[in-house]
Amino acid sequence: MTPRQAVVVAFASVAIGCSFKAPAAAPALRPIVMPDLSSVAESVREQARARESALTRTMGSAQATASDRAAAYGEFGKLLLAAEYGDAAETCFANAELLVPDDMRWPYYRGHAYRKTAQPAKAEAAFERALMRQPGNLAAMYWLGETRLDQGRTDAAASVFEQALAIDPRSTSILSGLGHVDLARNDFASAAARFEQALAIDPGATFIHYPLAMAYRGLGNLAKAEAELRQPRAPATSPVDPLMQDVARLLDSAMAYQSRGIDALRRNDAASAAGFFRRATELDPSSASLHHRLGTALFLSGDASGATREFEEALRLSPQLARAHYSLGVILASRRRSAAAIAHFTAAVRAEPDYLEARLALADVLRGLGRAREAMPHYEEVLHRHPDVADAELGYAMSLVILGRRDEARVRFLAGARQHPDRPEFSDALSHLSTGSDTR
Amino acid sequence: MRIPWVWIVLSLAVCSGCRATADVGRPASSVWFDERAHDSGLTFVHANGMSGRFYFHEIMGPGAALIDYDNDGDLDVFLVQGKGESRLYRNDLAVQPDGSRTLRFTDVTTQSGIRTTEYGMGVATGDFDNDGCVDLYLTNVGRNQLYRNNCDGTFSDVSRQSGTDGGLASPKLARDPSASGGGWSVSAAFVDYDRDGWLDLFVGHYVSYSVEKNTPCFSLSGRPDYCSPNAYRPEQNRLYHNNHDGTFTDVTTTAGLAGNFGPTLGVVADDFDGDGWVDLYVANDGRENQLWINQHDGTFRNAGLLSGTAVTVDARATGSMGVDAADVDGDGADDVLVTTLTGEGTSLFLRRGPAAFDDAGTRSGIRALSLGATGFGVHTLDADNDGRLDVLSVNGAVRTIESLALAGDRFPFSQRAHLLHNAGGGRFEDVSERAGPAFKLLDVGRGAAFGDIDNDGDTDVVVAGNNGPVRLLINEAGNRKHWVGLRLLTGVRSVRLKADDRPAEAGHYVRKCDAIGAHVEIIREGSPALVRRAATDGSYASASDPRVLAGLGDNSTPPSVRVMWPDGHVERWPAVPIDRYTTLEEGTGR
Repeated sequence: MTPRQAVVVAFASVAIGCSFKAPAAAPALRPIVMPDLSSVAESVREQARARESALTRTMGSAQATASDRAAAYGEFGKLLLAAEYGDAAETCFANAELLVPDDMRWPYYRGHAYRKTAQPAKAEAAFERALMRQPGNLAAMYWLGETRLDQGRTDAAASVFEQALAIDPRSTSILSGLGHVDLARNDFASAAARFEQALAIDPGATFIHYPLAMAYRGLGNLAKAEAELRQPRAPATSPVDPLMQDVARLLDSAMAYQSRGIDALRRNDAASAAGFFRRATELDPSSASLHHRLGTALFLSGDASGATREFEEALRLSPQLARAHYSLGVILASRRRSAAAIAHFTAAVRAEPDYLEARLALADVLRGLGRAREAMPHYEEVLHRHPDVADAELGYAMSLVILGRRDEARVRFLAGARQHPDRPEFSDALSHLSTGSDTR
Repeated sequence: MRIPWVWIVLSLAVCSGCRATADVGRPASSVWFDERAHDSGLTFVHANGMSGRFYFHEIMGPGAALIDYDNDGDLDVFLVQGKGESRLYRNDLAVQPDGSRTLRFTDVTTQSGIRTTEYGMGVATGDFDNDGCVDLYLTNVGRNQLYRNNCDGTFSDVSRQSGTDGGLASPKLARDPSASGGGWSVSAAFVDYDRDGWLDLFVGHYVSYSVEKNTPCFSLSGRPDYCSPNAYRPEQNRLYHNNHDGTFTDVTTTAGLAGNFGPTLGVVADDFDGDGWVDLYVANDGRENQLWINQHDGTFRNAGLLSGTAVTVDARATGSMGVDAADVDGDGADDVLVTTLTGEGTSLFLRRGPAAFDDAGTRSGIRALSLGATGFGVHTLDADNDGRLDVLSVNGAVRTIESLALAGDRFPFSQRAHLLHNAGGGRFEDVSERAGPAFKLLDVGRGAAFGDIDNDGDTDVVVAGNNGPVRLLINEAGNRKHWVGLRLLTGVRSVRLKADDRPAEAGHYVRKCDAIGAHVEIIREGSPALVRRAATDGSYASASDPRVLAGLGDNSTPPSVRVMWPDGHVERWPAVPIDRYTTLEEGTGR
């Protein structure tokens, strides 16, 4: 332990646990072993200092009620949980729970702290206590079921999921949980029924397609299994959970905003993503990667000029950042500033020779300028690494047309049409080639 | 000087009476494994070159190999170094007349001719030139190295001429020097995928990375930390076909592997669909794992998703690191085990049909027992020789462990190894607490190589830790039970002329090599048959003992053995002796 940490711990022990006049029957609060915050973002350090001070003030206040004190511990714990300091967070929630045993929030958050620190048995007990305080809380029921399932306790998991389903029969998360219990029991028919029911309620619950595929495979229905596997897949979601959403929104750090921005992009909410990334760049203006993400979100929300500024800033900070070169190249190519686009695509593939998107874009721009001979090695390189990339096959064949090598082009178009029957461009190009019209 | 067939003679001589040794020569110990690296001369310490700048590669190595490079009948140890030179240690095992044994290792790197030049990651072993001497393939950050065993205690670097050093550029762009840096690979496996009797080579590549391209990464709270693979784009894996002349051809594209890859950390080759042809299971870090099913024509088809092994049953792509394939549930079909990040839990995929697996991590208890650790090297071994396969994993975090940092640990990533005992009935129990002090050591576990290092009839472990000393876990429990040990030798064609070679055809000579990929069915009286695999691959960045060692429990009846050779044909041997190693040569069974 560093001297500073020792001081902080001592401070916390004295200020929080020992020095104030506790009621005679006060529970024995645990001292918080503070994590080393010396290397975290300054904004997070300030948040921690503020909550720590608030806690100290509250604990030292004769007017503070047990509920006030529990809330002060809880607020500090939530920040620590958000900052991934699960052990310290757990101590805060434990103290909060000791101070106000009736408040379901503290064992609930404590359960999540245990989950973060991979202690499923303790998490299960904490979620059970939370449910004793607030029976019927769906989020707590869901996490209790999940935690039991983690431990292979399928019957116990099924029990709590069934109770939750009785409360909300249309919860896709709970239905999915029950489906997973069935899968763990090799009861594929029941699992398929549960997952199908969930998808019927919410066709957007794409996280269900994969376990549903496994259920159909278990039933021997490979056609249905493969059909499900062709569907898009997203990470599983829990029921609406205001308590954990509060934690997820808490941390004021560039990385936390980046994480929220990425989540927003996954939801196709580019405008919100741009807001998160902008805040992230304000907190860490030196991160080229963050400027690139902001540029991407701006571009997706229709602000190409703003995007250009951010990509240029990213390259100012990190001149070799291949992604920024590529993104800037895309914008420049769309504005028909081909020479500048070529320069950026070239820089991208120079920085990362296996950057296929950049190489393909470079080849396309070169071909568009009639520089087919320069484009072809790049198409070949893409095809060498990824023989299935239809655009590279198409671009290569079109380059052959530009060079007047029409017979070779015909062969490539034919091969492309066979390999990519879902891409009509190949047969279209063949038709044009036969009629002698321009295929480029 | 190479001593032909001495292995067989020694193995029989050394191991006869092993059971007596366990009973008489060594006091009954309550621990399962005893850590003896330093005492035996394995003084290697891995240096990751930690810069304080959290360069990604610092946290990912190293591996280790158990390789009988001098064909003297005991397993030598090769240890991969990060910053510095990897080392080869010769095993000078001494067996006293009473059966007791003394392990002693001697650093023979200098005389071996091995000079590692890049930042090392892992190692694979296999006799690629069929000369009867096992060769070494080293994976690196940078160009990989293939060391041909000269059968005289020395090795030659044949990396460039063999065509396996990992240059990534296509011929069209070969003049672009930036396009041929070798990339970053971690785990590799020698595998005869086309059944031509020559070992081909699969090399798992991780991400497109170099120190120059390093991306600073941070925790959510803004603390500098090591990156996740998502910070970089994955790098394409490579499959090299053996040309039978000391060279390989990169067939990644024609084999169908080029267009679909993740950041690969683990690979294991096995027949996962029961057609007798070897397939490839590829563990990817944070992306879907792949199950490449051999199409018998030089190509592979990824059946990962439909097989149920690509993601967990709730569709999470885990941070997959180490991997093993073995018949964990004793149903005769090999299952798949994958180690993952803290909070994810080790995946156990039980095979239920051709290329069809059930996620049994939860049901077996393995997932819950491993939730608290980031697993790397892993192996299914019968630690107590009771006939059921247990699981040993070595662990070490990839993100800062706050409690260790708080305690002043300058490299706060260490975790304890786990030994999970197969309790039967499809359930596992954590026996790490009683497995010995070795399981209380805090290390940043990465590679682990498994094999019977002291030839006493149970599986020992070499653990390659990141930025720390090597560990040698000697099994003290296994040979209290009966066991059968097998070395499987297959006749192969060699291009290299040796004094004792038997001519087969013009330019080629028949030699005997370890039958990598062979399966063994050990048929026991009154007990279910055991199915085991002869392999060196799996785990993480490491290579293990190719011999088959199967625990028989209290059953002292010599079992009959059925071998399915890599080319698919089957032979039987009745009443194979127990409690010793026996060499089974292809063509000598029934």
